[in-house]
Amino acid sequence: MKLSDKSWSPYVTGVLIGLLQIPAFLLINTALGTSSSYVTVAGTLAALVDPGVAQIDYVAKHLSGAKNWWQVATVVGIAIGAFISSRLSGTVRSGISPIWSKALNTSSLTARMLLAFVSGFLLLLGARIADGCTSGHGISGIAQLAMSSFLTIACMFAGGMIVALFLRKI
Amino acid sequence: MSVLSAIIIGVLMGIVFGFALEKSRVFEPGMIVGQMQMRNFIMLKIFLTAVVTGLIVIGLMHGFFGGKLHPKALMYGADIIGGLVLGGAITLAGACPGTVFAQIGAGYKDSWLVLIGGLAGALTFSYLEPTLKPILLSGGPGKLTLDAVLGVPFWIPAFGLAAVLIALLVMLEKWRPWRNDLGQDHDGLRS
Repeated sequence: MKLSDKSWSPYVTGVLIGLLQIPAFLLINTALGTSSSYVTVAGTLAALVDPGVAQIDYVAKHLSGAKNWWQVATVVGIAIGAFISSRLSGTVRSGISPIWSKALNTSSLTARMLLAFVSGFLLLLGARIADGCTSGHGISGIAQLAMSSFLTIACMFAGGMIVALFLRKI
Repeated sequence: MSVLSAIIIGVLMGIVFGFALEKSRVFEPGMIVGQMQMRNFIMLKIFLTAVVTGLIVIGLMHGFFGGKLHPKALMYGADIIGGLVLGGAITLAGACPGTVFAQIGAGYKDSWLVLIGGLAGALTFSYLEPTLKPILLSGGPGKLTLDAVLGVPFWIPAFGLAAVLIALLVMLEKWRPWRNDLGQDHDGLRS
């Protein structure tokens, strides 16, 4: 297992991610999560044009404080970590994944870009309705035996598998 | 803790997170779509391994050293609807809200659109939240955890579930070795 390897075992990487709960709990007093950072960033940007958005309690709760900006920093760090790892192993990606032309049965870049935007929209709409995503509800919620997370993650995989039926097999 | 030190810790933790996501290849759309089509099991393996690790470290921190838990409140409607929409979108995006950033770091261009769409989705939810709150985002039994439901100390179901998941992972790996799911270019695409 070297830093220049293109892939590591899912068991090694899974343990590494799970261990991040230790600094999250002990230093930040929270559990690992990513999707509320979108509210912090979107709320901060929107407040520049519509100061009223900061008056919404839900947004106000996300705008300031160490925990919120810790999570924004974490997602930025994810991009940096993946950037470094992909450069070390020479698996730098460009354009879009080759699976899309197969799964969507079209090589239209416009179609993929449109779907990417719409799916991103639904991704965060769903995550915010459920109050968490694969990290917050999945990795962290299940590890805390939260009943809400068992339910959300079961529905998440169900929703994902139902929609996958409409894509072509990759 | 000051915001600045929280940001520094966040970036460092994120780098480890992003490194692990990239090395595991789970950030690849092919792994996500492949998992949802039950043709590729790398996502489930890394997910369950992270959960098992979390169960053990949180079981120790909370069960034996009194660390505070941060569970989310159980709200049936919101968890079911939100979970279904989130899952469907994960398949179409080929990403989770966190792995989008690993895709951007590794170089995928459509992920920027997923990110922008995600910010728009989070903002739309923020504007709707006061309206949704009384109908969807309230009520329910609160921050319920399995140990409380069972009436036993946290570490018992935590370590128990960890043991069950480890057994499941061992069987899963025997049935489908992870290397077989990588694909020729490590992107989950079968040749």
